[in-house]
Amino acid sequence: MAHLALDLPPSSLAAASAARRRFSPALLAALPLLVFLLCFFVGPIAGLLKEGFVRDGALSLANYRHLVDTPIYRIVLGNTFTIAFFVTLSCIVMSYPLAYLMATVSQNVSRLLFFAVLLPFWASALVRTSAWIALLGKNGPLNTLLTSIGVLDQPMAFLYNFTGVMIGMTHVLMPFVVLPLYASFRAMDNTLVQAAQSLGAGSVGIFNNVVLPLTSPGVVAGGIIVFMNAVGYYITPSLMGGPAQRMVAELISYNISEELNWGLAAALAGVLLVTVLASLWTFNRLFGLDQLISGSSGKGASAAPARRTPGGRVSVVLGVACAIFLLLPVIVVVPMSFGTSDFPIFPPPQYGLRWYASFFDDGKWMGALFSSLRVGVLVTVLATLLGTLAALGVHKMQSARRTWLDALFIIPMSVPAIITAVSLFYLMAPLGLVANSVAVVIGHTVLASPYVYITVRAALRSFDPALELAALSLGASWTEMFRLVMFPALLPSLVGGAVFAFVTSFDDVVMALFLTSIRNRTLPKLMYEGLAHDFDPTVISASCVLIGATVLILLTNMLLEKRKGAL
Amino acid sequence: MHTSNQFGAIAGSDFMPTIELAERPEAQGKDVAVAGVRKTYKNTVALAEISLAVTRGEFCTLLGASGSGKTTLLKIIAGFEAPDSGSVRIAGRDVTQMPIADRNIGMVFQNYSLFPHMSVFENVAFPLRMRRLNHDDIRRRVGQALDLVSLGELRQRLPRELSGGQQQRVALARALIFNPDLLLMDEPLGALDKNLRQAIQLQLKKLHHDLGLTVVFVTHDQEEAMNLSDRIVIMDQGRIVQSGTPDALYLQPDNPFVAGFLGECNFIEKPGCIVGVRPENVRIGAQLDDSDLRQDGQIIAATFCGMHWKLFIKSHNATMIAYAPVAGASNARFEPGRTVAWGFAATDAMEFAVQ
Repeated sequence: MAHLALDLPPSSLAAASAARRRFSPALLAALPLLVFLLCFFVGPIAGLLKEGFVRDGALSLANYRHLVDTPIYRIVLGNTFTIAFFVTLSCIVMSYPLAYLMATVSQNVSRLLFFAVLLPFWASALVRTSAWIALLGKNGPLNTLLTSIGVLDQPMAFLYNFTGVMIGMTHVLMPFVVLPLYASFRAMDNTLVQAAQSLGAGSVGIFNNVVLPLTSPGVVAGGIIVFMNAVGYYITPSLMGGPAQRMVAELISYNISEELNWGLAAALAGVLLVTVLASLWTFNRLFGLDQLISGSSGKGASAAPARRTPGGRVSVVLGVACAIFLLLPVIVVVPMSFGTSDFPIFPPPQYGLRWYASFFDDGKWMGALFSSLRVGVLVTVLATLLGTLAALGVHKMQSARRTWLDALFIIPMSVPAIITAVSLFYLMAPLGLVANSVAVVIGHTVLASPYVYITVRAALRSFDPALELAALSLGASWTEMFRLVMFPALLPSLVGGAVFAFVTSFDDVVMALFLTSIRNRTLPKLMYEGLAHDFDPTVISASCVLIGATVLILLTNMLLEKRKGAL
Repeated sequence: MHTSNQFGAIAGSDFMPTIELAERPEAQGKDVAVAGVRKTYKNTVALAEISLAVTRGEFCTLLGASGSGKTTLLKIIAGFEAPDSGSVRIAGRDVTQMPIADRNIGMVFQNYSLFPHMSVFENVAFPLRMRRLNHDDIRRRVGQALDLVSLGELRQRLPRELSGGQQQRVALARALIFNPDLLLMDEPLGALDKNLRQAIQLQLKKLHHDLGLTVVFVTHDQEEAMNLSDRIVIMDQGRIVQSGTPDALYLQPDNPFVAGFLGECNFIEKPGCIVGVRPENVRIGAQLDDSDLRQDGQIIAATFCGMHWKLFIKSHNATMIAYAPVAGASNARFEPGRTVAWGFAATDAMEFAVQ
């Protein structure tokens, strides 16, 4: 008896500590984001998908059969994959010369090129689209130029057809290939090219035998991400394409807002989701989701070659052309916004602030701007809090759980916004949450928290665990250590993540289309209405205000990065 | 074209192959002439009017410290850099403006630059594929070349699965397989350990002899230069300081720089001139002849080097280095602090004008 009694306390202690290990503070920290995503991402999407398998109150595959049997749906699905494929292809083809150029010029020029790549990336989809529409229209500057120098007899239709969709989507999605490709070029040993040259290879031989095989992992990674994004695109194809370029996302929207056919919309969303998740799965198999977290930065192993190959010189010219392509809309749209005529003309015959006045004086535009800012700030706070906590928690976990949570916390970024938006609309519209901005704040937080999560998680990975141990061994408690050692090291990335979160919210259109009403609509939604219905030139001045804000935010972030590098 | 007979097989192990010199054939290499080559980067002069002629079959080493211009000169011969002025001729043909791929130059890079995604076989086959040889010829010639560097077994390996010495030999086979007019080597042995380096030097010397290659070799290692070269070109600050056979440079250096760069040398300032004396020519105590110039000095340190004792002797505020024979010497004789007489024969003194 005595033995037994003596034996009890240690074993119960062990049980208690095991229990404590199971409910570690690490899991607690990750819990808020986990619960948030289960409630507002996984749950709603599951609810929407379920609708796809219901017809007249009974379980059935009728909706999916309808997709296959109806020619128009077959055509749209075919369109979607064809467009996504060609966009991926053109992103890859155009990225090669640009990435090569970026990797082989001096650091200052390279920084400038980075800016050219990142600006359209961060500028709102609407800003870019409205700039292209202004630039490529029948009477736009490009057609005027081409007809006046005699290249064309009459204006060519760049818009509302396949060309328009290709231009618009390639423009946005190119950075996803350029950045990893740039990293591959930087990591490539430049003497390999010299070796190939000395062994008798010409430009084509060097590209096929050396450059292509050594850069292909970066290209495949970027290509998968482009494809995944392109498949779910909504705004660009709907504004720059014609009826023949309808894509799935637009059809989902049409089925919900016009036809009120939730079953078909859900089935379409199902197809889209499966495609995206399959792409993500492929990416994970080939490269690991880690790649998304660690981010790709050039190691800078090789110096610029002193003498370019003939192929290299051609690539430089093409690379410059690609950089111009990326910057062109932004460059052209700024002077156009200072025009005074009823329609945007480039170059404007007369400069003035007419359209800025109409932006800043109109209660409609100001209301939308403030609505955007309010939503943006709320989303930034929420996403930063949830994302940072989750990153800290996952960082402390054992690897098995970690892989799953990493995947779950990153996926909301990859799932097309239209699916998340429609699912949340389905959940929240009946509750009246659309009219008071709760829905849009939640939607944007779902979209933005992965950015915070990824940046903070990456910073934690590069944080030297020995510093944590050193602080603890010197007598600091965990909270003191966090406040004095870890947090200062994380701060720059945390700010970076918060900036991404704000920009994500501030630039979003798709969520806003479904999750706001006429009373609390955001600026991008108002711009969309201005573009989709009748062309209001105030959209262009609004775009320039947004471009200005984006440039400011990017520059601030770049300066912060610089300081982080200096520390 | 030469085929099988040009690659005399090297038998033997990885480290120390047994060397059987083959009958020396008609030299495969060609003459190389660099005339008046000048190269500047922004405000720094990398090369100032360099002229250099390498005859066919010659093993010529560019020796100098980093920044001396040796690598720039090599890159200009290879075509990776264009000279500001001057010309490069190979076999009498002006190649200054010719693309690298057309120059028919084999090059071994400092880090080997093997294509990481290609097997050993594919790496060596690369130049033949670029020359559009047919499948059977490629198989046969790559096989021969890999046998030549004793790597036939490893043909399916990737470069990262090879040791440093094996990678080095793949690089060599790749650079030689297309019968280049000229073989350029940019510090190719720097990454290898000492034993391996010696083995590869020996192999290289044999290949050079058997194939009659013209080689331009860049290094900062004077011992390596002396081991390998028919001729050493000593470079400093973008100029050729002196060139000649290793023994000529060692025994009759033109100036203190060369004397100090190639081997060790003591310098004694005399009015109007500087006198250089090699440590092996410094005599100690009883070795001194009556006719020798002699001084007294104090031993600071003595180290045993196997062949000799190396003595550091303080004399007139300068430190002299002397090699004392091991025979008959004892530790006690060279105890630090002892005073010794040292000197040298007048015939061993190398006199340099003050610059």
